[in-house]
Amino acid sequence: MNDQMNDHVHDRMSESATFTEQLQDRFVETQKSLPGAHESWVRVLRKSAMDQVVSQGMPNTRHEAWKYTDVKKYLDRLLADSVEMPSLNVSEEMLTAFSFDDLDSLRVVMIDGKVSQALSSLKNIPAGVRIESMADMFAKEPDVIEAYLHDQHVSGAFAALNNAMMSDGVYLEIPDGVVVEQPLHCLFLSASGDSASYHIKNLIVAGECSQVTVIEHYASIGESTAFINAGTDVELHAGGRLEHYKLQQSGSKEVNIGSIRVHQHRDSYYHSHSVAFGAALSRRDIHVEMNGEGAECALNGLYLVGGRQHVDHHTRIDHVRPNCRSRESYKGVIDGRARAVFNGKVVVHENADQTDSAQSNANLLLSDQAEIDTKPDLEIYADDVKCAHGATVGQLDMKQLFYLRSRGLSEDEARNVLMFAFADEVLTAIKVPQVRKYLERIAFEKLPHGAELDGLLG
Amino acid sequence: MLKIENLYASVAGKEILKGIDLDVKAGEIHAIMGPNGSGKSTLSNVIAGRDGYEITQGSVIYKGKELLEMSPEERAWEGVFLAFQYPVEIPGVNNTYLLKAGLNAKRKHMGLDELDAIDFMQIVKKKADLVELDHSFLSRSVNEGFSGGEKKRNEIFQMAVLEPDLALLDETDSGLDIDALRIVAGGVNKLRSPDRAVVLVTHYQRLLDYIEPDVVHVLADGQILKSGGKELALELEKRGYDWVLQEATA
Ligand SMILES: Nc1ncnc2c1ncn2[C@@H]1O[C@H](COP(=O)(O)OP(=O)(O)O)[C@@H](O)[C@H]1O
Ligand SMILES: [Mg+2]
Repeated sequence: MNDQMNDHVHDRMSESATFTEQLQDRFVETQKSLPGAHESWVRVLRKSAMDQVVSQGMPNTRHEAWKYTDVKKYLDRLLADSVEMPSLNVSEEMLTAFSFDDLDSLRVVMIDGKVSQALSSLKNIPAGVRIESMADMFAKEPDVIEAYLHDQHVSGAFAALNNAMMSDGVYLEIPDGVVVEQPLHCLFLSASGDSASYHIKNLIVAGECSQVTVIEHYASIGESTAFINAGTDVELHAGGRLEHYKLQQSGSKEVNIGSIRVHQHRDSYYHSHSVAFGAALSRRDIHVEMNGEGAECALNGLYLVGGRQHVDHHTRIDHVRPNCRSRESYKGVIDGRARAVFNGKVVVHENADQTDSAQSNANLLLSDQAEIDTKPDLEIYADDVKCAHGATVGQLDMKQLFYLRSRGLSEDEARNVLMFAFADEVLTAIKVPQVRKYLERIAFEKLPHGAELDGLLG
Repeated sequence: MLKIENLYASVAGKEILKGIDLDVKAGEIHAIMGPNGSGKSTLSNVIAGRDGYEITQGSVIYKGKELLEMSPEERAWEGVFLAFQYPVEIPGVNNTYLLKAGLNAKRKHMGLDELDAIDFMQIVKKKADLVELDHSFLSRSVNEGFSGGEKKRNEIFQMAVLEPDLALLDETDSGLDIDALRIVAGGVNKLRSPDRAVVLVTHYQRLLDYIEPDVVHVLADGQILKSGGKELALELEKRGYDWVLQEATA
């Protein structure tokens, strides 16, 4: 009875108010079963994050940062039950499609938002390196992660919602001076066919002068309609080096939203490769704060979309301290009625002198109905800086096309070769050859005219 | 081999070729000379099948078939090759890949088996040596960062690999020093055979010191104003083109 009355009240309110209140109801119902419920700082963190969601409302196209990306029709999925979801029985063999040839890697597999110990394989981890499930960390060692999570001022409702509802993910800790040779492959698989939402939280703490490669890989088996809302927090201590791959290969009906927040200390190096192929709608926010002198970051990205796919990349690099260097290069190939959004913001803070920043975003539109909204965004509050940025949108070069055809390549093959060459420029920056090959294969298959790949990759 | 009759072509509404007649027989080498802007590249491009030209009249018969009805790749498979005046750079596309794809597509069209990687590499290396192209160029992106002369040599290298029946060289000699010129000429002379024909577009007599043409044509303002033997080239070298134009209007 009471519920019905509430519904009437909601009907008269704005739609989004109704939705966030429903979301809050869900939060209240599930919070006791979320990991870390016994810890007061976790409860406080979740509650204040949820309050932020309610006061801010879920994003809509009136919000500047979401002007071109309309999530409205997918939001209901966030209300679906995700905690007690029975997951499909995933076997070892099913994972081969998502593995990188003969790459010797450490592997953590998450099925439908939960770490599967059975499918994970963590052999020969260097001494002192910890790779754990975040759910376990919340349950058994909340003190260890507290410093990195408790005092978060996140921007954006999805990041706040992630903090409120985070359930599991990967915890990686590397002690000072340790070099982890094997890449850590974190495979997040959606296996359930039902609508569900997963609030994945990963935490990477790389010690001073440590080195590691982390592959955050989102994929699906079958017809998933999952709504993934992931958050990855990275603490990169002085002199640490992280190669961070984000491969988004979600199913065609999935929604994949996530943010990566990176704190860079002195002389650290952060290299991000963000590749988006799948999902009905995907959105990635990367926020790098260069808080120590001499830090360097490079953000590379590639999106290849078609049909009615929607892909959105927002990046923000804060040059807080002097003498830091940032490089950013995103490329996109957009076909069909797909739409891509790129927004790259660089903020050079007061006194961040000797900042060296360069950014580019190049797009290839393959059809009349494909669309790109691209915006480089520079805010400079220091005097002695070097900043360059630019965005391009184009079609295939007719001269190049004719040249290839005049040498005997069919029109389709020539088009494919040119599109591939355009996209591959991003993939050539990938330092793990097996990962590069894996992505090149997918990229090639995504192109509109299938052709032979071997040889081209030479 | 190639018979062009009364060919008219325009670009963006502007008439550029104004009734070209040309008859090139197998085994022959023809030189086409003429002032800048007279339509030499346009003619080469139309024969190779580049988009953007409106053919308003005429025909281009090659080995008994109408070329104008074929796609550029079909022309390549049938043995037509154009060495571009300005070869385009194609970053990210491997030189060797391009040749392998092109040659195998042509072989397939001819009903031949595709070459395996080893046989292909042998051919490619031999041809690269022929035009004195360093093997490091094989694995580079097509023309990317090549100097002007390297681009031209790469064109001749591609020609040597693809072994066309009709080779069109559009000012391949421009901008080459004397050594490079000799290499280019060597490549063309190697190709020379009773079954093949070559059309050389050139500004300079000096290429014709190395490649002896059977026929020399003067193309001006979209028309072939005069044709003659190799001595015509020498005369053009000495007297320029004006007298041909005057003779034609007289
Ligand atoms: N795409 C084009 N659009 C407009 N005019 C063109 C185009 N291509 C060639 N032309 C014009 O056609 C004429 C012939 O050009 P071209 O065939 O390149 O001459 P040549 O090779 O003999 O120097 C020139 O006047 C040139 O400006
Ligand atoms: Mg020309």
